[in-house]
Order: sequence, then C-alpha cells, then structure tokens
Amino acid sequence: MSTRTPVRSSLWLGLLAVPAVAFFLVFSYAPMAGLVVAFKEFDISKGLFGSPWNGLDNFRYFFASGDAQRILVNTIVLNVLFLAATLAAGVTLAIMLNEIRGRFFKRAAQSTIFFPYFVSPVVIAIMLQVLLSGPSGSGGVVNDALAGFGLPTVSWYTEPGPWPWILTFVKIWQLGGYMSVIFLAAITSIPEDVYEAGQIDGASRAQMALRITLPLLKPTAAVLLVLGVGRIFYGDFGTIYAIVGDNGTLFPTTDVIDTYVFRSLRQIGDFGTTAAIGLFQSVVGFVLVSTAVLIQRRYSKETSLL
Amino acid sequence: MTSSLAKAAGRTAAKRRSGGWEPFTVVSVIGVALFMLVCLIPFWVILSGSFTDEQTLAGKGYSLIPQPFSTAAYKLIFTGPTLVSAYVASIFITVVGTVLALSITSGLSWVIARRLPYVSRPLAIFAYIPMLFAGGLVPLYLLVTQYLKLQNSYLAVILPLLVAPFLVFIQVSAFRQLPEEILDSARVDGAGEMQIFFRIGLPLSKPILAVVGLFYAVHYWNEWFTALLFISDIHKYPLPLLLQNLISNVTFSQMLPTAAEQSTPVYQLRLALTVVTIGPILLAYPFAQRYFVKGITLGATKG
Repeated sequence: MSTRTPVRSSLWLGLLAVPAVAFFLVFSYAPMAGLVVAFKEFDISKGLFGSPWNGLDNFRYFFASGDAQRILVNTIVLNVLFLAATLAAGVTLAIMLNEIRGRFFKRAAQSTIFFPYFVSPVVIAIMLQVLLSGPSGSGGVVNDALAGFGLPTVSWYTEPGPWPWILTFVKIWQLGGYMSVIFLAAITSIPEDVYEAGQIDGASRAQMALRITLPLLKPTAAVLLVLGVGRIFYGDFGTIYAIVGDNGTLFPTTDVIDTYVFRSLRQIGDFGTTAAIGLFQSVVGFVLVSTAVLIQRRYSKETSLL
Repeated sequence: MTSSLAKAAGRTAAKRRSGGWEPFTVVSVIGVALFMLVCLIPFWVILSGSFTDEQTLAGKGYSLIPQPFSTAAYKLIFTGPTLVSAYVASIFITVVGTVLALSITSGLSWVIARRLPYVSRPLAIFAYIPMLFAGGLVPLYLLVTQYLKLQNSYLAVILPLLVAPFLVFIQVSAFRQLPEEILDSARVDGAGEMQIFFRIGLPLSKPILAVVGLFYAVHYWNEWFTALLFISDIHKYPLPLLLQNLISNVTFSQMLPTAAEQSTPVYQLRLALTVVTIGPILLAYPFAQRYFVKGITLGATKG
C-alpha cells in the first residue's frame, strides 16, 4: 500500500517540502547548535565561533545569583496554577454549556467565551490596566467597586502578593472558553444510552453530570494535563511580559524563566549567562515534554503523530 | 422565538430527556451567563472609554457609557502617520506571513501525508523534533541580528514563525483523510504527482486550509514579541508593539502628528488603539469561529 508512488516521482514530490526543510534548518536546528554560546564568554566582535570557551562559568554565575531559585519557583508555581485553573474552568464550562438547551443561547455563549483566546496579550494588559489602575494610576474599575462597598482600595501595580491569582484569573479568562470547546467535543462523543440508563435509574441532571459526564471526561483531562505538565518549564512569556513588563516591584511573584531571559538579553546583553539559562530550560523541558508524550501515547494508542 | 426555543429544547429533550427546569440546569445557565459577562465587560469598558472625553477619563475614571462623547482619539489615529503606518505594517505582516506560512506548511504536510518511502517518515521526525527541543531565545536573537541581519525588517517578524509543527500535524491528518481512490483515478488519467497536489489535493482541502490559515493569521496579527526584539525603528512598529509602547508610556510625542503633548488624549488614545487592534479579529470572528472549533478539536486529540 505504502509503496504506491514510485521512487522517482516521490523525489520530485519531495520538492514541495524543501522550503519547510530550509526553514527548520535555519530557525530550529541552527539555533540548537547555537546553544554552544552557553559555554562561551561571548563577545559580539569575535562572533559565535571566535569567542573563548569558559566551561560551566555561565551556569555557575546563574545559579549563584539569587535569581535562579526565584524564577524557577515562580515558573513552576504559576504554571501549576494556570494548568489547574484552566482545566477546571474548561470542564466546568463544558458541563454547564451541555445543560443549555436553547440552541441560539448556547451558540452565542460559546462564541463569547471562546473569543478572548484570540485577543493579543498586549490588549489583555491594557484591559487589566483599565480594571486595576485607571488612567491616573490609582483607581480603576475594581477599585471603584471596592470603594463603592466601603472597602479599602489596593494599589495593585505595587503589590506583588495578589499577582499569581490575578494572572491565574487572566488565564481562565483567556483559555476557559478554549478548553471548554475541547471538553464539549468530548462530551458530545459520550454515547446516549449511558444517559438513558441514568434516566431510567431516576438520576437528576446534577447527578448525571457528576457521576456520568465528569468521570467520562477524565481521559481528555488526563491528556491535556500530561501535555501541560510537559510544558511546565516554558512560562507563557507573552502574557506575563505584556502585563508585568519591567515593573520590578512585581518580580518576586511574577518573574519566570522566559521573562528573565528576555530581560537580561535586552537590558544587560549578557549572552553567555542568558544562553546558559536557556539551555538549562531546554534540557529540562525536553525531558519533561518527552516523558509527557510517552505517557500520553501509552494512554491513547490511536494518537499517532508520525 | 419561543417556538424555535421550544423546538430546540424538544430536540435536546429527545436526546437527554428530563422534565422541566432542574436546579442544576438553572445554575448552569446562570454560571455560563456570568462567565459571558466577565468575558464581555473588559471589551465594553475599553470601547466606551475610547469614546469618552479625555478630561472625564482622567478625572472620573472609566464608565460604562461614554459621556461626554468624543471621537478625538480616533481622529488622531487616522491622521497620525505613525499610527496609520503601524496598521499598514500589521496588515503586511499578517497577509504576507499567512500566505507564506500556509504555502510552506501545506507543501511539507502533503509530502508527509503521502507516506512516500524514505521521505515521509524522516520528514515527520524532522518536523517533530523542534516541538521537543528548542534552541531558545539567545541563539535566535544572534541568528537574526548577527547572521541574517534582519533588524528593522518585517522578515524578522515573519520568518521565525513560518512553520508551526503543531499545525503541520493537523494538516497531515486532514490530508490523509482524502480518499485515496480519487488520487488514484487522477493517476490513471495521467496526472503527475505535482498536478494531483495542486489540482486535487489543495482544492479538496479548503476547510483545513482555512483552519491553518486562520491560526497563522491571528498569530501574525497579534505578534509583538519578535517585533519587540528585532524592530527598533518606531516608524516600522506593527500595531501590537505600538500599543505595548503606549502601555509603558514611552516616546509618546514622537508618534503623534502634533507635538503638543499637553492636549493629547493619552488614555483615550490608548483605548481607541486597542479597539482598532481587536477590530479586524472581531469582524472576521463570526466567519472564522466554526473553523477554529474544528481545528482545536482536531488538534486536541492529535496533541
């Protein structure tokens, strides 16, 4: 079956893949080789290959600086929060959407909650400013509401404490609808007779949601969870950087590997150390992602990528 | 309206029969409605703020109804050369990027999907490895600035995102669903492999091309990270980068037609620019949404 196409025309057809191969060579594989800069004392005037080696100095420097622990902890804590929150929100929304009978309302609801997925992180940052700080730096919609209830207002952008939760909220806003689409598709594929059986046994709709739908969503959730854990070392750079930017007051709770790397590259221009962190991230990330993919494949045999 | 609702309800009831409105259903409707509100409110506040007079904004803060109504910021956007050029830049990046990315991705996906001996499998692995291991920021930065010398060129924004392995695999699985009989009958009629790709494969795959193309388009339209890294000339800023600059309030006067900083509606302008940035996505959304839903349900299972 698979040798239907003769070898000559298959080589000819292979030409279609040439631009993509060139892309991967230049933008994916060359940068992998470029990671040697992590073991060098990089000097722009000498170039990548001319700069002297300095062994593991870059790594020592990074781990000796107080930053290492902070950004590693932040990366993991924030990602765990994001993952748990978006999965929970996705499942909850999907189960609730499944309860809605009016077709028009259901479609409108899906369209609405899915839309934030397409909004640029920069726009999200502006929305947060509107909500949390207002034009004059103090105020904002949230503070106005707090004041309305006679509660003390908060100067959000100088207060690192609440930010893991604020960012988690942003993630739910951004991805809740997206996740719910995935879970709703899984719910749709649950066979009808399972519910009919529940019906005959006199189960209420709440019981059916909790005892039938929820357990049957486990495989989907497991796949998403495993893939999410695999990517736990890669923070969501865009969203966090767009929101926090160079606001140092918030770094204690919001600075992750990606934002740290980006800042030290742009502001300090320390290529060696930055590449060392990047390499560390890539290696740990590789181990996590590969493990995740292996587990996920064992879980669902039919997902064949290659 | 009641009759269509009743009909829809009847249809669902036939599927999951249950009488009346159970408490759980009521809670669900309320829950979904609340989440919808949470999704909509930020957009509304921004839209309303963008039409609110600057003085009012600074004095009283944001409100849900623009009062007094003012279009000053929008006038400024469409007369200011930097703002217009940012729009043009974003359109250029999105159109050229999407066309290039879609063509290149389709070519690779087709070759992988055809299961050619000695070609398809190695190519699939070749495209898969970058999903597992990435060189990261520093080598990319050095590559673009030192070796390719693409600073301040839109190619620096377009090229690094040209092929997303994830989308390649979505497209491969869609191409593989094309019935082999159709391709075979074309071969019998004497069509070459290239002809089959362009005349039969692509036209039959319009839905998946739409999915992948839309993913690329949204990505390019929202892209600001590579722009932030590689574009420093303020007159070449794409829209999201310009917006990001407005957040941090830097180099503001440079972008405006009149240098009189005092009278510039800074906050209002920021909001109006946000509206202008979301606008095209919002307009395309009703047409694009069903394709996206298809795409992510396909992608979720293919991981």
